[in-house]
Amino acid sequence: MAKSTSSDAQMLIRSLRTAYAATPTNLKIIDLYVVYAIVTAVIQVVYMGIVGSFPFNSFLSGVLSCVGTTVLAVCLRIQVNKENKEFKDLPPERAFADFVLCNLVLHLVIMNFLG
Amino acid sequence: MARLAAIFLAVIFLFPVLCLSFSADNPTDRRLLVLVDDLAVRSSHSVFFKSLQTRGFDLDFKLADDPKLSLQRYGQYLYDGLIVFSPSIQRFGGSLDQNAVLEFVDAGHDLILAADSSASDLIRGIATECGVDFDEDSAAMVIDHTSYAVSEMEGDHTLITSDDLVQSDVILGDRKIEAPILFRGIGHSVNPANSLVLKVLSASPSAYSANPKSKLSSPPSLTGSAISLVSIVQARNNARILISGSLDLFSNRFLRSGVQKAGSSTKYEKSGNEQFVTEISKWVFHERGHLKAVNVRHHKVGETTEPAMYRINDDLDYSVEIYEWSGTSWKPYVADDVQVQFYMMSPYVLKTLSHDQKGLYSTSFKVPDVYGVFQFKVEYQRLGYTSLSLSKQIPVRPFRHNEYERFITTAYPYYGASFSTMAAFFIFSIVYLYHK
Repeated sequence: MAKSTSSDAQMLIRSLRTAYAATPTNLKIIDLYVVYAIVTAVIQVVYMGIVGSFPFNSFLSGVLSCVGTTVLAVCLRIQVNKENKEFKDLPPERAFADFVLCNLVLHLVIMNFLG
Repeated sequence: MARLAAIFLAVIFLFPVLCLSFSADNPTDRRLLVLVDDLAVRSSHSVFFKSLQTRGFDLDFKLADDPKLSLQRYGQYLYDGLIVFSPSIQRFGGSLDQNAVLEFVDAGHDLILAADSSASDLIRGIATECGVDFDEDSAAMVIDHTSYAVSEMEGDHTLITSDDLVQSDVILGDRKIEAPILFRGIGHSVNPANSLVLKVLSASPSAYSANPKSKLSSPPSLTGSAISLVSIVQARNNARILISGSLDLFSNRFLRSGVQKAGSSTKYEKSGNEQFVTEISKWVFHERGHLKAVNVRHHKVGETTEPAMYRINDDLDYSVEIYEWSGTSWKPYVADDVQVQFYMMSPYVLKTLSHDQKGLYSTSFKVPDVYGVFQFKVEYQRLGYTSLSLSKQIPVRPFRHNEYERFITTAYPYYGASFSTMAAFFIFSIVYLYHK
C-alpha cells in the first residue's frame, strides 16, 4: 500500500509537470512574476519576525505591494487565459491595460504609505 | 534750633549705614547677647569672651533675669547670636522665655547653650527642643574612673578628660587638637535617628552619668560613648546650635590649665580646651563651613542663552558657582562630590559636577528620551557645611514631526521590496508584451 502511494505521488507530479508544460508562454511568464512577488512577501515577513515590527507602516507597505502585485497578476492571468469561458469576449489588450492602471494606483498608494 | 534740626537730619540719614549687621553677603554674626547668672562669669570666662571680641563680635552682657531683656524690637532682631551661660536660671527676665529663644533659632540665628550640674528645667527644656536630652536625674554628673584628670586633690572623678572628638576639619579646624579636653558637668544623649544633631565631644567608654554624692542604686541609664559632652545641631534653615554640658569647659581655669589623663604618663602643658572652644565657636558663628551657591546656568551645548524648553535627546551644559565664607570673604569651594540630578519624580540623570579651582562647577549630559517637566536639582548636605538645595524647573518636549530621522534603517528591506516590485512590474510588462 505504501509503495503504491509513493508511486501515486510520483505519477501525480509527473502528470502535473506535463500538463503545465502545455500552458502558453505568456501564462508562464505571469506565473513566474507571481512567484517572485510571493517570495518577496515571505522574505519580508520573516525579516519582520526577526527584527520586530518597528516601522509597521513600512512593513505593511512592503507586504501590500507584493500581495497587491500578486492579486493583479492573477487577475490578468484569469482574464487572458484562452481556456477560460467566462472572459471569452474580453480582449487581452483591455485586460493588460486594466492591469497597468491598477498597478499604477497600487504603487502610488504604497509610495505614500511607505513613510 | 537750626543746628539741632541739622544734627537730627544727619543722624537720620546715617541710620542705614549704622545698621551693619548679619546679612546674606556677610554671614558671620556680629552682635551677640551673652546671658549670665551673675557677672562674675564675665571675668571667670574672660579669655573666651576676649577671643570672640578680637574676632570682631560685639558682646552684650546681661543678667539672665534682667527685666529689660528682649531679643527683638518692633519685629526686628537686635542680635545675631545668643550665648546662654546661665545654667541655673529658672525663668528669663524681660520678654525672653523658651519659646522666644526657639523662635530666635527658627529665624536662622545661632545659639550656644552651656549647662551645668545646676541646670534648671528651662535650660533642659530648650536643649530637648533642640534635639539633645540631658540626663533626667537632675543631680547626676558625668563620672569617669579611668579617664579623669589627675589633680592634686583626690576628687570624685567628675573632672574628666576626653579626646573623643568628631573627625571634621570644618567643625574643628585643620590643626589636630593634641591635648585632651577638660570637662566637668552633666552628660546628654543624642537620638541617633536625628540627622541634624551630631556629637562633637563624646565621653570615653568607661564614663557614666550618676550622682557623685550617693551610692548607685541601679545601673545608670547613660553610659560610655553614648554620653555626649558637647553636641552641635545644624537646623534645616542653617542655624547652628552648640550645647555643652559644662560651663567650666569655657572657663579661664580650664582653658589655661595643664592636663594629665589618669593612667597615662603624658602631661600636657595646656589642655585642648582653648583650641576646642575657639574653633567650634568659629563654626557656630558661621565663620567656617558656610556655603552659598549662585549663578545657576544651563544651556544647549554650543549656545549661551538659556532656552525656555529642551527637546529630548538634546545635549546640554549645566553650571553653578559655589563659594565658601572664610570669615572675611567668599572663597571658591573645592569639593569632588557635588552632584546634579535631572529629576522628574525620580532622577533620570545623576552626574557629579567637575570644577575649575575657582568654584565654578559644571557638567554636560544628554537629555533623556522622556518628555515632561524636569528639575535641575542640587542637594548637597555634608557634615559641618550648610546644606544646599537648589532646583530649577525646565520642560522637555518630544520631537516635532519633522525632527524624526527621514529614513529608518530597519525599514530598508521594506523600501527595497517596494521598489523591487515596481521594477519587476516594469520588466514583466516589457517581457509580456514583446515575447515571441
